[in-house]
Amino acid sequence: MENEAKTTIQVAIVLAKIVGSRDLADTLKEVILKAKTRLVNLDFSEVDFISRSAAHELLLIKEDLNRKILNKKEVNFINTKHDVTEMIRVVAANKAVPKNRPTFKAEKININSLTKESQTCPC
Amino acid sequence: MKSLKIIKPNNDTLVAQLASLYLTFKGVLPKEIVEFDLSTLNFICPLLVLPLAAYIDETRSKTIGTEKHQSYLSTIKFPDGIDTVNSFQQQIQLDKNFVPISVLRKDSGTDREKLETQFIMMINKILGSIQGAQSSIYHPITELVTNIFDHSNQDKGYLFGQYYPTKKFLDICIVDCGRGLSKVYKEEKGLNYSDEESIEEVMRGNSTKPGKERGYGVRTSKRVVCEALGGEFILISGNTALISNKKRERMVSLPNFYWQGVVASYRIPQPSGPIDIYPYLE
Repeated sequence: MENEAKTTIQVAIVLAKIVGSRDLADTLKEVILKAKTRLVNLDFSEVDFISRSAAHELLLIKEDLNRKILNKKEVNFINTKHDVTEMIRVVAANKAVPKNRPTFKAEKININSLTKESQTCPC
Repeated sequence: MKSLKIIKPNNDTLVAQLASLYLTFKGVLPKEIVEFDLSTLNFICPLLVLPLAAYIDETRSKTIGTEKHQSYLSTIKFPDGIDTVNSFQQQIQLDKNFVPISVLRKDSGTDREKLETQFIMMINKILGSIQGAQSSIYHPITELVTNIFDHSNQDKGYLFGQYYPTKKFLDICIVDCGRGLSKVYKEEKGLNYSDEESIEEVMRGNSTKPGKERGYGVRTSKRVVCEALGGEFILISGNTALISNKKRERMVSLPNFYWQGVVASYRIPQPSGPIDIYPYLE
């Protein structure tokens, strides 16, 4: 299996050096599906950052393509820089064991207090 | 055509900018074509100038009284902005200290991603590329922009930022003129939420998208801005604004005002060293 052919896709060329948008992960999925090999490496060497949303979408794509019966792909993330590694790890960990979300409670204020506050110089 | 004088912010705080935005747009009817008079402005800030640019683009409204600020407005490409990587690069060659208003188009696909990358990297460069702090700059922008194309049903988003070197803070604003948060909940989940309730749901991470793993973008962006960077964060949709900082969350109802879409704006002090954002990403 070690000698099985692999396709390597440069993520920064297909998308950008900062991968932010969830909706563009589908562009990458199409490129992966066109690969003639089962093993596909996503090379992040030129990617500086991936957003939380895009990392989540890429993990979903990785799982989805690995589950396929026809045109199954084993996708690996390679050459990830620190921030890309950390983001993928945070999202993957939360997928496995979601954290409790913090509560949210805001104080209600009226417009008069806002305009009054805006007249106060903070200096 | 109604002429609206842009109300000068009383000071340079985000709250003063929000008050100015409110007073400017108060009483404007949906999609009304107006003339914005900028003659009394002394300070042009992202939370005011980007919603103006987006509104002008949406309605073909006009501006007058721009003479005093012509040089700056021209540098930032107000009101039309730029929408390609090439025009962005040309503009930053002309002026290396200011980023132009960027108009991100859904149908531009990966070119949109490359333009957003250019914008973010330029902001990072102007700030001084502080080692270990880049992710704190990148995270909120990428999350708030991707939300436009995931939720607003709009094919355009607007992005602008300004670094103030003497005050050592960065202001970022991200705007869409889409369906707004309450309509997202109504159309996607059949829930009748007010604008205030919609913002609360967003901040609780209750996404309209299926799956438990969605709904982190806005809340974690706010946490990075306020908790990791000690900044201030404002989110406007419809007739309500959320004002957050590290100490408190405040929700203000904006009578006789309605922003069709979402305005997200924040201010962060210039990072002085490495910042670990990952504990805040949940």
